[in-house]
Amino acid sequence: MIYLQDKLMEKILLKIKKLRAKADEKEILKGVSFQIKRGEIQALLGPNASGKSTFAQVIIGNPKYKITGGGIFFEGKEITKFSLERRVKLGMALAWQSPPKIKGVKLSQILERISQREIEIEEAESLLEKEVNLHFSGGEKKISELLQVISLDPKLVIFDEIDSGLDIKRLEKVAKMVKKELVDKGISILLITHLGQILQFLKPNLTNVMLDGKIICKGRDFRKILRIIRKYDYEKCKKCLSTEVS
Amino acid sequence: MTMKNVKNVYPPKFPEKKFGRVHYRQVDHEVKNIFEIGGVTILPSSEAWQKFAWTKKFFGEKPKEGYFIWVKNQLDFPLTACITIASPKISQDLRNLLVIEKNIKARANVICDAKEKFLCGKHLARGKLILKEGVFLEYNHIHKWGEKDNVQPDYEFTLEKGARLIYNYRNLFPPENLEFKTTIHSGENTSSNLNLIIMGGRAAKASRVAGAPVLGRVASKTKVKDTVFLEGKNSQTVVRLRLVGRKKSQIEAISQIFATSAGKGHLDCQGLLVDKTAKISLIPQLVCQNKKAQITHEASIGKISEEELTYLRMRGLTEKEAIDLIVSGFLKKV
Repeated sequence: MIYLQDKLMEKILLKIKKLRAKADEKEILKGVSFQIKRGEIQALLGPNASGKSTFAQVIIGNPKYKITGGGIFFEGKEITKFSLERRVKLGMALAWQSPPKIKGVKLSQILERISQREIEIEEAESLLEKEVNLHFSGGEKKISELLQVISLDPKLVIFDEIDSGLDIKRLEKVAKMVKKELVDKGISILLITHLGQILQFLKPNLTNVMLDGKIICKGRDFRKILRIIRKYDYEKCKKCLSTEVS
Repeated sequence: MTMKNVKNVYPPKFPEKKFGRVHYRQVDHEVKNIFEIGGVTILPSSEAWQKFAWTKKFFGEKPKEGYFIWVKNQLDFPLTACITIASPKISQDLRNLLVIEKNIKARANVICDAKEKFLCGKHLARGKLILKEGVFLEYNHIHKWGEKDNVQPDYEFTLEKGARLIYNYRNLFPPENLEFKTTIHSGENTSSNLNLIIMGGRAAKASRVAGAPVLGRVASKTKVKDTVFLEGKNSQTVVRLRLVGRKKSQIEAISQIFATSAGKGHLDCQGLLVDKTAKISLIPQLVCQNKKAQITHEASIGKISEEELTYLRMRGLTEKEAIDLIVSGFLKKV
């Protein structure tokens, strides 16, 4: 096992080096390098099928995906071969974009198994006795995912498209919850988003752009990146922002 | 809102503890106790055969063992019978008879179990349950067996005019061999709900001790046959059958409705394969001999979803805990 000795690494919570991964023999991640510090918020933007969700699932250890190269380091420790349960125990959590329906299992049953913590979230009470994701609206799914990841008491939370399908009012509410329960407590957050609506509320320290299984550029000014993407689409990122990497 | 999570209480404790007083208890071949209550006659079947000539037509032949319960007055508590195998290689041959007089509402809990996992016992139980006119009976039948037992329950319910039956059968601890047979004869204006939960095989990480089934062989074989005869006008039935195929289990089930009168019936049969070594065969059968009868069925067998498992594992559950939770959700639909 490799331990990273660099003292600067103490600040770095998650570091990913040239990560390659495939699903069903198709290579999806083609050498992704990424790092996030403790208490930092980062965004990952990208068009559909660029590999954003796969990146999230590979970080957390979904056995559906096979890592074919590179490494994942969490708190300075290599976890590339760790099972998903071990990664969750270490403090990694993922809020799914489209969580599966589990018939006959109530949200409260899952929460009971996760922790004994008290959580205060409005709108959650009506969901507790419903079957998980079965008759949830789009917004309710997001609340349920948020509630579950908070219960896990994580160090890093990856939100996969937490802003998709939410109107602006609900989006603001969800962002407030994320801020109160996670950001203010110094938990690192990676926001994966297609259109970037959530960023205006959570203001990431660094914004990454993924294209075709690679992070092709990063920038500190998320507004500038969003403006460029909206104006010129993603292909333009390659040319206009590659020099801004900090 | 404030949500306080409570301590994990899964899996639930075996429900025997919640049933309270036992009115008939048999261990191996011995009747350990009979708790007398007013308005109910409880006897070993062999004594009932001697004492009440009318029971002979129900027993057919002189019974060796088993219970006779005759409910003559309304009760405000459930009747409970426990039949246990506690010694090795016991072969029980039970003839049970439950008769409930007109217009009585009753609840019965019958628990049949083995005290240990490897007693290699045999439990043969033939039962007749007579629900007279206007009776309502909730019959909770719970089985908990050892891994080498051979179990053959064969129960026949007769529902006279206007009688209603809820029959809940749960077998979450399967024996090596189970042949489960249930027959319902439904008279005029009767209704019956059968909720049958049958688990096959072993849990994924069951601890093994000496004498346990060796890897490579089938851990449990289960045959299920439930038949409802809609014999009276306006008789109704709903049968919900849930089968769970765990490690090294084979389950064969036939669920039938025969409609000879203008009744209504529905079969809802679902199987869940939890392990790749499990096999479930499921046949729903409808036989209609009356043009005014309406009988329908739905049947499906599916495997446990990898996506659901992964999702729950991401919430900190182990794979076994995730499987247990998904299975409990599947069974809760009954």
